[in-house]
Amino acid sequence: MLAKNPAGANVDLIGAMLLRYEIEQFNSVYATALDEQRLTDWADMFAEDGAYVVLSRENEDRKHPVGLIYCENRGMIRDRAFALQKTAMFAPRYLRHIISNVQVTGQSAGGEISASANYIVLQVLFDRPDAKIHQIGIYKDIFRRTEAGLRLVQRRCVYDNLLVDNALCIPV
Amino acid sequence: MAWREVISLDELQPDAAKGVEVEGTPVALYRLAEEVFATHGICTHALAFLADGFVEDGKVECPLHQGLFDIRSGKALCAPLTKDLQTYAVKIEGRKVFVDLEASGSKSPNANDKQSGALTPATPGRDPVIVVGAGQAAAAAIRALREGGYAGPIDLFGDERHPPYERPPLSKDVLLGKATLESCTRLTDSELKELKITPHLGRRVIGIEPKSKKIRTESGEERGYSSLLLTTGGVPRRLAIPGDDLPGVHYLRTVEHAAAIGKSFSVAKKVVIVGGGFIGMELASVASSLGLSTVVLEREGELLSRVLPPFLGKAFRNLAESHGAIVRCGTSVQAIERTKSGLLVRTTAGNFEADTVCIGVGLVPETDLAAQAGCELDSGIVVNVEQRTSVPDIWAAGDCALHHSTLRGRRGRLESWHNAEEQGAAAGRSIAGSTLSPRGNPQPWFWTDQFGLNIQMLGVPAADDKIALGGPEGKSGAVYWLSDPSTGELTSVVAFSAPAAIRSARKYFEEGGKFDAAKAGATLIEENTNEESSAVQTVSSKTSKDFVWPSEGLTRVPDWVYTDRYIYEREIERIFHGRTWNFVALASEVPNVGDFIRSNVGPTPVVVSRAEDGSIHVFENRCMHRAAEFCRELSGNAKEFVCPYHQWSYDLKGNLAGVPFRRGVGGKGGMPASFKPSEHGLKRLKVTEHRGVVFASYYEDMEPLAEYLGPEILREFEATFDGRKPKVLGHYRHSLPGNWKLYHENLKDPYHATLLHTFLVTFGLLVAGNKSSMISDSSGRHGVMASAKSDASKLNSDTKKEMRAYKEGMTLEEPRFMDFVNEFDSPWSVTMATIWPNLIIQREMNTLGVRQIVPTGPNEFIMKWTMFGFEGDDEDMTRHRLRQGNLMGPAGFLGLEDNEAIKFVQDGMISVPNGKHVVELDPGVIGTSDTLISEASIRAMYQHWRAAMDL
Repeated sequence: MLAKNPAGANVDLIGAMLLRYEIEQFNSVYATALDEQRLTDWADMFAEDGAYVVLSRENEDRKHPVGLIYCENRGMIRDRAFALQKTAMFAPRYLRHIISNVQVTGQSAGGEISASANYIVLQVLFDRPDAKIHQIGIYKDIFRRTEAGLRLVQRRCVYDNLLVDNALCIPV
Repeated sequence: MAWREVISLDELQPDAAKGVEVEGTPVALYRLAEEVFATHGICTHALAFLADGFVEDGKVECPLHQGLFDIRSGKALCAPLTKDLQTYAVKIEGRKVFVDLEASGSKSPNANDKQSGALTPATPGRDPVIVVGAGQAAAAAIRALREGGYAGPIDLFGDERHPPYERPPLSKDVLLGKATLESCTRLTDSELKELKITPHLGRRVIGIEPKSKKIRTESGEERGYSSLLLTTGGVPRRLAIPGDDLPGVHYLRTVEHAAAIGKSFSVAKKVVIVGGGFIGMELASVASSLGLSTVVLEREGELLSRVLPPFLGKAFRNLAESHGAIVRCGTSVQAIERTKSGLLVRTTAGNFEADTVCIGVGLVPETDLAAQAGCELDSGIVVNVEQRTSVPDIWAAGDCALHHSTLRGRRGRLESWHNAEEQGAAAGRSIAGSTLSPRGNPQPWFWTDQFGLNIQMLGVPAADDKIALGGPEGKSGAVYWLSDPSTGELTSVVAFSAPAAIRSARKYFEEGGKFDAAKAGATLIEENTNEESSAVQTVSSKTSKDFVWPSEGLTRVPDWVYTDRYIYEREIERIFHGRTWNFVALASEVPNVGDFIRSNVGPTPVVVSRAEDGSIHVFENRCMHRAAEFCRELSGNAKEFVCPYHQWSYDLKGNLAGVPFRRGVGGKGGMPASFKPSEHGLKRLKVTEHRGVVFASYYEDMEPLAEYLGPEILREFEATFDGRKPKVLGHYRHSLPGNWKLYHENLKDPYHATLLHTFLVTFGLLVAGNKSSMISDSSGRHGVMASAKSDASKLNSDTKKEMRAYKEGMTLEEPRFMDFVNEFDSPWSVTMATIWPNLIIQREMNTLGVRQIVPTGPNEFIMKWTMFGFEGDDEDMTRHRLRQGNLMGPAGFLGLEDNEAIKFVQDGMISVPNGKHVVELDPGVIGTSDTLISEASIRAMYQHWRAAMDL
């Protein structure tokens, strides 16, 4: 197939594959930082004006803005990372963030990339035998390319499950 | 010498026993003052761990039967103990405790341990003390004689060939092969020898001549006595019906009887026990534990009805029945017949087949000899406090003798192990001439082991006593306090596997006075003799007996409040579906005609809808036809509601509008002509709305909301819903693995705020010195936790010191989300209102929300949050509310911690039975309090809850 395409189309396709690869790589690093509960590293994956919101599909569909987590910039994201690490009390747990189905949905004139990905967060409480699907949803992302690589200008995590199992302690 | 390090000294509590195992030997360690002592870990009487015992005054009391051992010497100090406890050497090096199993720890025999002084020298040629009857009372008497200093000859005559043995195990462990004659023996051959007793076992005494002080044996031998003790016991009462002596029909008194019953049980399939007394029930317990079909036939209307109130007899019956035994009361046995396959027991209630029949209908005291000697008799041999009979130099003790004093106005015998021991010892001391020490324990004491429970009874009960019950009815831990209905004094206590209760009962008897059920942690039981109403009583009083509130009152909350399914169901009935206003929606969630949302009242799904006339309606989301939960969208707009299953349709008010094929097809089928759609509308609830907040109730005559809330709560309600129109910003929904009331308590517990929520304190947002209040309404069900933000820099250093996590210099990068825009007419910057039973109104500075509790079981509930601002908020204000929302909700800095804490509390209760919570802060206050360090509002809530639940 590749050989039959015009040369220009091949270049576009390779460019799209590389971008997708780059975003997938970003998401893997992102997931690992959260799985290892390195929340400061996680916070630094956002641009300074990066917004991070976790909200239910119920709210998203009804255009209700309320989020479980509602951060308008990296300062607030860092505050959350700091508060969770230094002050919050919650039962110890392991998490696995599984990110898949990455799609690049658009690129703006300014070079910002819109993308989405599905995610699953599995949670194991230290004293419980089973892993539970803690959250399942979609990331609605805007990336910006910086000198340090891709950074998130926006990550809206829209989760499908109606109920949160008790509490969301570690970000998604 | 082999010293073994066993424990660190720090692990030993003063005045408590600690069990350890040393090379496979159970050892109990005790710390008395600065010294540590070690004994064998198991009581010498029965299999009980002394580590579970009670340590006081250098003695350890066995948890099972209250035998006392001296910890230092191991000496057995009282009945039922006969053997001393092995002690072990202990040394302490550093903080380590070492034990040597091969070396005894006993202090050199203490002069106090033995009766002091030389034994009375035997008078040469003097006649012996003769004891007739070689049972347990005889053994106790002989020991007391020797301990009392009598050194002369003692002759022991017994019908049975065995040295004295105790009989309680005959109906229990002996049958199961767990005990043997040897283990039941109270004076072994070697002890008889050691104590210089001349035994005449298997030799029957048939006559007494009190004038010449002689006895005569069956073989014609005569023997003089200086003192004569009759411990002749008794024989089982015969049933005196045809067939009561057939092979396979058993009575129980001797070890041979027990052996025969044991043997028959090993081959039998069906056992009939005649007589539902203690022996009968113990035999039934053994038989059913061996898997035999077991029937108990009792002549009276209830078990044990001559000695216990019927309520208690019923508890024994229920216990037996719950283990598979069949109990037939009011049944007289008429005859026993031999059939081809076994035995047939003919009774007034029909015939019962059996392979083995055991008869336990009482004991006839053996008083023939006493009668011959001219001793005064009543229903047994009459004795005084020294166990002397009316005839000089003749004493009597045990089952054959009456109790020395009247028992509740009656003369009577006590057929018990304890009585045999007490009377035997008293007689022995008296004969020995030793100063009569006061009787150890004035209250008769008795125990029975049946159906897995050790049931102890202290005191003298009567059938018409009043009963107060503590603990779970008829189960392990149940304690029945019986009191005299006319004097109000405690008469007896019956404890089901609750030895500690017997100990506290002893104290009660010592102190005397009127019995106070509440003080004893018990609830009075109203007996109802009327058959019909007693049936009703059983149902309605089930809860109050099963769920007894701790005696401490509101400062304790028992776990069953949070974990029991029956309580949960009662809460739905009496609280959520009872006389309460339940939050269901904000009116702005259904702004237009046809708008609806799904909601809940308690766990029950409802639909909140706005009808054509603008009114709001609440009805159950359950089709009247086949119960389908017809409305499936969380919210929406509809012209009508149609159940998808059979297309029954309802209007926006919940009225039944259409039933497909109601008239049938072609004149066939369809609903009956009498079917009226108007009678089959959805279950509709009462609705009220105040300032845009919608409530519903199952209760028809609900008072207006303002009245329901009371003025204090209404004021705070209206401070938040200040007339501006609420605008929904979105929802949080989460499930919490805890009981729903814990959420109320979390917000009626200002104590936790600065302790759990480190975030608040770290950033100086809430500190112990904040102006604050915990307000309750007069009923105690609603509350408002309120505080006013203050400037951290103005706090004095003493207040700061109290705060666990306050750290100066820790700052937020974006502190503006903590700003407070003072938009309310209120002295408070934060109020959390708990509106009974299902609503929390959150005003955390500028982040506002209503939280709706939806219980889904005793151990879980769902919380639905509706976050809102107001119409007229500008973009900045809305963003500020959303940013501040990071504090609350399932991922909120504060919210997630509360959720976790509630889960921890439920976890702590689920696997630990019979616990209770301590809710004592701010003593004496119930309701509104002006300190954060208070649990007064939780107590107020439970005052209301108990009234609403009738518990």
